[in-house]
Amino acid sequence: MGKTSKKLIRDARRGQEKAFLRLFDEHHLPLFRFAWRLSGSIADAEDIVQECFLALLNPNCGFDPARTALRTYLFGVVRNQWLKRLRRREQRESAESRNCGTPETEAYRGEAAEAVASAIADLPDTQREILLLAHYEQLSLVEIAEITQLEITAVKSRLQRARATLRETLAAYAPRIERVI
Amino acid sequence: MNDNELDRLMNSWDVPPTRRSLRDGLMRQFPRAERLGFIRPLRWALVIILASAALAVVTMAVGEAAQNSDSYADSPIVRFLNHVYENFLQGREARRVEGIVAKIKQSDPKVYVDRLLMAPLEYGPAKTMNVLVPQEGLYSISLYRYTRLRTAGGRSTGWVEAGHIHGNEIEFQAGSKQVRIECSQPIVDGDRPVFVMRRR
Repeated sequence: MGKTSKKLIRDARRGQEKAFLRLFDEHHLPLFRFAWRLSGSIADAEDIVQECFLALLNPNCGFDPARTALRTYLFGVVRNQWLKRLRRREQRESAESRNCGTPETEAYRGEAAEAVASAIADLPDTQREILLLAHYEQLSLVEIAEITQLEITAVKSRLQRARATLRETLAAYAPRIERVI
Repeated sequence: MNDNELDRLMNSWDVPPTRRSLRDGLMRQFPRAERLGFIRPLRWALVIILASAALAVVTMAVGEAAQNSDSYADSPIVRFLNHVYENFLQGREARRVEGIVAKIKQSDPKVYVDRLLMAPLEYGPAKTMNVLVPQEGLYSISLYRYTRLRTAGGRSTGWVEAGHIHGNEIEFQAGSKQVRIECSQPIVDGDRPVFVMRRR
């Protein structure tokens, strides 16, 4: 983490709005993408991202700039917040929300996107979060291992399994990729 | 399906744009430091004006002292310089106190009177905090070191040094009661005095 981020966090903890907004502007987009792809809900993703930044204001939040990059730490918080929410929901309710999605969410999905979203939603949670971080957020295996607290080899094998499953599930789209994308 | 085709297919899954409500909702929950009114935007202009004035005054004082060395210490110019310096120190202290109070607000302070948990801390004007002490009354707390120097018409305004703030704790004596405010994180380095005034 650069000195700038350290100073921004310190200033934000002192109540300086500008510093807090700068941290938000620098980091919120990838966090929102990750949270939205995990939850499938704009409202949930917004709540998770907000909780993530508010957690950063607490000096006892566990963030140690000497050990972890801020970006990695923030992705970890999003993941933990999502897992917390997931545990609170009943399995059935969770599956319903994934399959249905809100009208505003549906509006952004085309045919292929819908199939991809649905195939990714059907992956086991442990594979899904790794796939999202690796493919959509372009995080390295080392960073993902740090966020998920897994060995790099485990991350790698789960990523391979996730991609293999998707390849199988989405095989029907292979001949018409040029047309649907 | 090869890797490249899978990647392209996966990339068709777009994310909706973030809404203004994300930022607005977050900022509604942000614990802002209280603003010092119109002074804050002008603070650098104020610093430059004061520094220029001080420089001009020093130049004049040195010239005057060279002419009349006996009255140097009592000269109005030296008194003015002292006044400027004191104002500078008080301004710096005010900013420190502002930072400490912002930290206290963010660290879930718990108020104990004789080890019993009391109502939460209330925040008053000028970075003061209020604590209701059973059987003793309402006490205002100030961490501003110059509080004891405040006078109104030559009489003390009632602020007394009654305790200290150390690490994550503020402790002071309110009449016969011992008040302790415990924060979830350290709020000062070292030790600072705490001033209190009984309101009613």
